[in-house]
Order: sequence, then C-alpha cells, then structure tokens
Amino acid sequence: MKVAVVRFPGSNCDLDMVSALRTIPGLEPVLVWHEDAALGREEFGAVVLPGGFAFADRLRAGAIAANSPAMAKVKRLADRGVPVLGVCNGFQVLVESQLLPGALLRNSGLKFVCDWTHVRVENTTTPFTSGLRKGQVLDLPIAHGEGRYFLERPELERLEKDGLVAFRYCDEAGRPTSSSNPTGTLHNIAGVCNKEGNVVGLMPHPERAAEALLTPLGKADGSLVLSSLLVKRWRGGA
Amino acid sequence: MSVVISNKPGAKEPEGETILHDLVSKSGFAQVKSIRAGKYLRVTVTAPDPQSAKKLVEKMCNELRIFNPAAHSCEVSIGRVPT
Amino acid sequence: MRAEQLGLGLTADEIATVRRSLGREPNETEWSMIDAEWSEHSSYKSSKALLKLFPTTGKRVVLGPGYDAGVVDVGGGYVATLHIESHNHPSAIDPYGGASTGIGGVLRDILSVASRPIALVDILRFGLIDESGHSRWLFKNVVRGIADYGNCVGVPTVAGEVEFDDSFERNCLVDVACVGIAKKGGLILGEAKKPGDVLVLIGGSTGRDGIKGATFASANLKADAASDRSSVQVPDPFIKKLLLDSLLEVIESGENIPGMKDLGGGGLSTALSEVASKGGTGVDVELKRVRLREQDMSPTEIMTSESQERMLLVLPASAASSKSGVIKILEKYDVPYSVIGRVTAHPNLVIRWGGKVVADLPASLVTEAPLIPWPSRKPKKPVGSSRSRASGQPSSIQEALITILSSPNVASKRWVFRQYDHEVGIRTVVRPGQGDAAVLRLPNGKFLAIKGDGNSKHASLDPYAGAAGCVAEACRNVVAVGGEPIALVDHLQSGDPSDPEVYWTFREALQGMADYCRAFGLPVVGGKVSFYNEDSATGRAIKPSPIALVVGLIEDQSRIKTMSFKGAGESVFVLGETRPELGGSEYSAKFSVAKGAGAAPRPDPAVDLATCKAVLGLIEDGLVSSVHDCSNGGLGVALAEMAMAGGVGARIDLTKVPTTCEAEAETLFSESHGRFVLSGGDERALLAALRRSGVPHAVIGKVGGAALSLATGRGAARLRVASMKARFEGAIPELMD
Repeated sequence: MKVAVVRFPGSNCDLDMVSALRTIPGLEPVLVWHEDAALGREEFGAVVLPGGFAFADRLRAGAIAANSPAMAKVKRLADRGVPVLGVCNGFQVLVESQLLPGALLRNSGLKFVCDWTHVRVENTTTPFTSGLRKGQVLDLPIAHGEGRYFLERPELERLEKDGLVAFRYCDEAGRPTSSSNPTGTLHNIAGVCNKEGNVVGLMPHPERAAEALLTPLGKADGSLVLSSLLVKRWRGGA
Repeated sequence: MSVVISNKPGAKEPEGETILHDLVSKSGFAQVKSIRAGKYLRVTVTAPDPQSAKKLVEKMCNELRIFNPAAHSCEVSIGRVPT
Repeated sequence: MRAEQLGLGLTADEIATVRRSLGREPNETEWSMIDAEWSEHSSYKSSKALLKLFPTTGKRVVLGPGYDAGVVDVGGGYVATLHIESHNHPSAIDPYGGASTGIGGVLRDILSVASRPIALVDILRFGLIDESGHSRWLFKNVVRGIADYGNCVGVPTVAGEVEFDDSFERNCLVDVACVGIAKKGGLILGEAKKPGDVLVLIGGSTGRDGIKGATFASANLKADAASDRSSVQVPDPFIKKLLLDSLLEVIESGENIPGMKDLGGGGLSTALSEVASKGGTGVDVELKRVRLREQDMSPTEIMTSESQERMLLVLPASAASSKSGVIKILEKYDVPYSVIGRVTAHPNLVIRWGGKVVADLPASLVTEAPLIPWPSRKPKKPVGSSRSRASGQPSSIQEALITILSSPNVASKRWVFRQYDHEVGIRTVVRPGQGDAAVLRLPNGKFLAIKGDGNSKHASLDPYAGAAGCVAEACRNVVAVGGEPIALVDHLQSGDPSDPEVYWTFREALQGMADYCRAFGLPVVGGKVSFYNEDSATGRAIKPSPIALVVGLIEDQSRIKTMSFKGAGESVFVLGETRPELGGSEYSAKFSVAKGAGAAPRPDPAVDLATCKAVLGLIEDGLVSSVHDCSNGGLGVALAEMAMAGGVGARIDLTKVPTTCEAEAETLFSESHGRFVLSGGDERALLAALRRSGVPHAVIGKVGGAALSLATGRGAARLRVASMKARFEGAIPELMD
C-alpha cells in the first residue's frame, strides 16, 4: 500500500515517518513535497501529515498549511474515504483545515514538553487503531508546545458521546489522571477522529516508537498504530 | 484596522494568568485583577469608508480562519488601537 | 577617516602593523574588515601559538582543527563531524536571542562541511539560581532559546550540562556543540580554489543586526551592557530549516559544489577572506548584489553585519544560471540567493559598491593577525573565587547527601531537557537522564556516544588538573554507556587575557588538557577559545571554564549500558581509588572540609586509560548490567543516581571502598577521578575479570530494597529512594516554576 507522507516547508518529522513506515512490510511510504502534483495524481492508500513546524507555525500552528493547495487535495482524498493521519503538527493542520473538530492551544505550562507518555486507545474503528484493543495502553512520546485540545463544553460532550476521542493520556494502569496529563489538554485528549472514522489526529509520535531500540522500555507500540492500516483495508483507498 | 484574537472565555489562557500571578501581583500591583494575552494584527485596507473596511476585515478573518472559531474570539475595530 | 577615530577594537600596535604591511592608510571599510578578522573571536591571536600543543592526529581523524568542523571516521563509509561554539556575551544581554543564535551558528558550521546535523549538546553556566533572580531569568531564557531553535530545526538536543557558580552571575556561559554525519568522501570545505567560480550568498537577508558582533565578543562586558543590544543577532530557525533541507538535497543529488562556508563572526568579511586565503585565490564582489533588509546600509555595514542564517556557496560559473540543478533546488524551498561575485586569481579581496572599488586588501592580511604573547603570572588567589557559602559539618550522612542531591548543581536537570526535543530524527537510543552520555544510532549499524563536561570550581583551584579533569570526566561518561572515546573538541573560556593571572590560568588549562589527551590517545579535532568573559563594572572574572566534548563509538547494540540499577540481588562494585580530594567539590560548597582533604582532584591518564579499558572489557564480556561514573558529588551521588534511576535501593558497605581518606564523608563525597560504580549478577566472574585487569576494585554491596543504605564503621545511613527522588527532581522546578 502506498502511503503519502506530505512535507511542508518546516516539517521535520517527515523523514522519520517515512523510515518508520518502511519497517512495516506491506507499506510503501512516499515522501511528497507539498507542491508536488503526485498528491492529486497517484493512488495512495493513506496520507500522513507528519510533525514539525510547517510554515514556521506563523499566525498559529497549522494555520498557513491548512490553506495550502496541498491540503485542498488532502481534503478531497479524505472526502473519498482515504485514511488520513495527522501527527503532532499534522494534527494541528487537520484541525485548522477543519478535517477534525476543535483547536490545539498552547500547553498550560507554557513550555515545550518532550517526554514519554502512556495513552489509552479509545476508539478501534479507525484505520490507525483497528489493530489495537479498546483500553489498550501504549507508550508513545510527545514533543510539542501547543498540544492542549480545546472544544467548548457542549461540543466536547458531543465529541465524547459520538466516540470521536481516539487516544487519551493515562497512567500505567490506563487511568486518565491529571498527573498523567502533560499539557492541560481537556479530558486528557491525546487524539481524535472524524465522524466518518477515516481521519485521525494525535499529538504523540508513533513514528518515534516504531522500533523497540528507540523506546525506553523496549516496546514498539508506535508500530501497532501504523500497521493498523493493513488490518482493515479501507474501501476508498488503493 | 485593529484585529485582536483571544481565547474564548471558556478556554484557559495560561500566558495571561502567568503574567498576572508570577509578575504583576508579586510586584505590588494588587489592583490588577485580570490579564488576558492575545494576538494583535494591524491591517491596512483600501476601502470607501471605515464601516466597509471593517466588514471586509471581518470577512477576511472568518473566511481565511485567521482565528480558530472553536477556541478563539476575534474582534475587529476601526483605527490603530483596538476598542 | 583615520583608524583612531573609528572606534575599532584593534590595538595601537595592530594598527601600526597594518599600516606597515599595506604601505598605506586603509579606508573605513577596510579598517572594519580587518577589525572583524583580527578580533579575538575570529583570529585566536591570544591563543593560536599555544593551541599547537594539542594532539590532533589519529587513525580515525579525517580533518583536524582549522576548518568549520572536525571530522572523524566512524566506519562503514561514514564520518562524524563535530563543532563547538559559544555565545557568551550575546546571551548575557539577550539570553533568548543569544542562545538561539548560538544554536543557529553551530548548526551552520556542521552543515557547511556538507554533513547532516544529528545532535546538539548544550553546556551552560550561570550564577546561583537559588540566590539571584537575574540568573534565574538568564537560565530560563537561554533554555527557551535553545529549545525553540533546536526543536524548530528538528535536530535533537540530546546531552548537556549546567553548572551554577557565583562567578557567572554577570557573565553566563552558553556553549553549544553539534554532531553531524556524512558519507566519507562527501565533505565540502570552505575554500575557493578555482578562479572563475562564482560566489553565491544564500539564506537570510543582511541587516544591521549584529554589526561588529565579533568585536563585541572580544571585549569585556560594559557596565551599560543593555546598550549593546544591537550587537545581538536575530534568530530565524525556519530559514535555517529551509537552508538545511535544500543544501542536503543539493548534496544528495550529487551536484558539484567546490566550496561552502557559513557566515558567522565577522560576517561577509570573514567568510570571503577565509575562503580566499584557504584557496590561495582572491575575490571580486559587488555589494549591491547583496540582498538587504534595510535599504540605506553602507558598504562597511554590509561587510560586518552578522545577520543570521546566511551561507556562502562557491559554485562553478555554469551553476549560477536559473536552469542549474542547484538553483532549482534552492527555488523549490524558496531559499533566497544572489550571485555576489566571483573567485579571482589575484589574491586580493576586491569589494565594490556600484562598480567602484571600496576595499582592496590582500586576502592573507586579513587572516594573519599578529599573535600576542601575553605575559602570565601565577595568581596568589584562584581566579574567579567567590565568597564561600560553606559552614559547619552536616549532622549526618543523610543530611549531607540530601543537601547535595538537592543543590542545583547536582539536582536533576529534567526541567531543562524536557523542553528540548531529544527524540526527533529517531536516532536517540539513550536519552537525557538514562545514562552518562547520549547514545545515537548511526546509519552504519554502530552507535555514537556524546557528552560534554566542565568543572569550573576544580579548574579555578588547579587549572592544569581541572582542565585535564574535564577530559577525564567526559571520557568516563562515554565509557559508562559502552563507548570507546575517539575524538574531542574543546572550549577554553577565560577572562581578560591582558591580565597575567588570567592568562597564566589559560595556559595551564590548555597544557593540562593537551597532556591528558596525548597520554590518553585522544585526538583534538577542533575547538574554540573565548576570552574577555569579564565584567567591566565589577572587574569580576569568571572561574576558568575549560570544556571537553567527547564522542565515542559503540560497535554493537548489546554494549550499550545505562546507569539504573537493574535487578535486586546484583552485586555493586566500585572501580578506582578514592583519595581525599574535596577541593572544589559539591560537598565543600556546603560544608567545611579538613585541611588535608582540600586538594582539587588530579586525574592520572595512565590509570584512567586502564580503568576505562577494564570497564569496556567487562561490558564486552556481558558481565555488567549498569554502569555510572563518579563525578560531581562523588560516590554518594553516583550510588543515589543509580538507585533513583532504577527505582530500587542498595545496601552498601562504605568500609569496603578502596580509599586513602580518613573520614567517611571524604570517601563518600570526594571527587577523585578514574572511578566507576557498576553492578552485575555474576560476582565471581566480575571479580576474576577485575583481578586480571589490575585496576583497584571492590565489591561494596548488593542491589535491593526501597532504600539506599550506607554502612560505615559506626552504623548505617538510610535514605529512602522515593524521598531522595522527590528532592532530586523537585529542586530546580521549585526555583524556576
């Protein structure tokens, strides 16, 4: 399955994502420059928007990228049901493109946080979580300054009711405690998905946990997220 | 035209809170009760009159999502200084 | 205008030398160019002669000092590049801008030899953050500056050091180092060899920021330092990222780039003069082709501006057209560029403004500042001494250990490294807090260990031993994670060289480092010297601060070790002898020390080499599960750190430690070099191997329990691991948040 990894000026986790996807047999990552016509032309089974600082996060993280022709193409693919994953800055771009609801605000500690976290899987119907169990606790690292998810109360309740929360920060035992919330994000939300279930955004970096060697406890949980793409082939993609 | 983008009342605004608690209150300015931080844009527009300029800038902010309506409020006012 | 009216940093002697050598009076632009090139920061005129003492060759050395980065062979067709930079003066004024542009600078050097930056290291020194709001402000913003820049560019900051001492109150030290990786044979040097080649300036535009920055860094900080704000450069990590991506793509595409140089201290002046003199050529440059940020800049300002994010490419004339591969890639990334001139056979720097020649100097002149043989004199009192804050005796061993663990110098630096993205690049195998050094995986299947160390308190008491000690400590840290040290870059930082006591200290430190490196077999592939770290208002000099950054090679994943105690029941060993050397120690900063125990630690390179070889041998034989070296806070802190990292305690018998100390506090807190603590399951095999090695050693206890128990002749001190951890991890956040 060909997976497009979109690089914007300022993306800095694109090569990492390509490298991680390559470790999964069956996935063929393709680095696509945002202005490259391939994004609208080739048959991709999935699109990944990687982490970094696209367009220097000017105005607001993800705001400028959201208005790029590349994102117009990604929106069209998403509308057709192609699986789309946004990681960190990619999540910010998806939110600003309105492919996902809400906003990602500055961490409440006002500092960039790079640390390993536990996240609990909340929704296993998406192409990036179909290989996981509901309630499963994964070890994934975060590295961001603007990861505090926000929606006003009524919308947030609706999001929860509709089961659109994909990942939640938790402790080792899977409990979403306040001390396991690294950024003040509402309801410990680490990732969400859209109603159709094909677009997922999350702040933690699965590509940084795709090889046991690179993880503090030797668990390659990121690989489980990325390889979910092969568990249930999405109707819309190749 | 002045555009001020700030977090909605429901969204915590740690920068303003920090300036208040860690700097202002500790330095003896007890009368200061609240500080909110936001973003300020000064937009220069060619338009027939101030009102239509304001409408144009409001349209720009909405259509181009200069602010994220899920979390921000956006106030446009005429002149260099926000009112 | 005559030189004397121009406010240059040049001395009367230097001015006279220039006049003699040229045979005429240079104009204003020419004086400014010479001023920038002959500044201490750029020319090393106070240190060059002595730097020759360093050993710079070795079987792995591809490129030694004198270039933008040192280069070492790491096997499998790959080389690692190293460079260290400091931004002390700018950071003292504008900590955020100074620190971030420091990162920008060191990244540029690694990029300019055509290697991909893969790791950053930050080595910082501030005044006492538990006493000074000013130092807390500097600390907070320096860390934020490094974080914002490194994180945005996507190069992980994987290791570092922070030291707090009164002498850095006004003159903080911000050292940043960078490591890069490249294929052997793919390096590009900063030289313009072929007349006819063109000079292309790429990256950020040129403005008035940082004018005379090199001269600023070459003088003591003035009383009204804030007025020097314009001398601080403005960072833009986004443009740097575009430069990085575009240049790496150009390099990977195989395009021919005859030369590449970054613009750092001295701006365009230094860059042009260095590529010309290294290439044996000259240049002819039209300044109107330089992209300016401010429209009314003079030729002098353009030549000496230190605006960031600019690089100079030397390209074949054919590559300057818009159809060339190089230009197409620059345009893809929207990297601005302009062809500003060409390389000439006549070895002069010919600078034009609208066609008219405004400067014409021999390239060799600007790069050959006469060396200054400063006098030196041994100081009566150590340089940079501060008021002692030590008093009395601790009431117990527990109190001593907790006091030291919670002092900012020793306490966990998690508050710092949690702000640095240390995972981007997916090469980080051992991350900050896990081991004594960072470990990154390399594309050739091997691993690189990286660590930088300094100790200004030791260096102030005994510059020779203290400087040698930095090398010893950095090597031990690399060995503790399983790495064989292969190269070093150094940084020597002192006050005003015209002060004979400061200069004596500098000479001693350099000699100490050089002698140790030679005896240990470690080549010095690059480095920096930073003088004038002194405050004019208070006349205060910093404690001399030599820094050593060492990289080591680990052949196999199985040889990577971390410091946490791994399993209850394992035996704990100490290697190396402890001596009564509490001079400059963490213990002596808080408590009084007996007269006989106050010497600064002296490393013995022969002993250290044997001990390091023994540790690596034990690791290779699979006998060791955790390793930690002893440094700040001695054995006590080392044991506590291993326990806290592993979440498990140990029962230790201090009477078994190989020591010549009389008091147990001395044994526990002396900072003698050449010592390691390690644990392993097979006590007999370890003992047998250690006996064969000839290194002093002893079994001192066993891992287990919820507390660190330290038994002396008279009883045991017990510290719960959880309590130690709370104090160790809470110390800095309590002060800073």
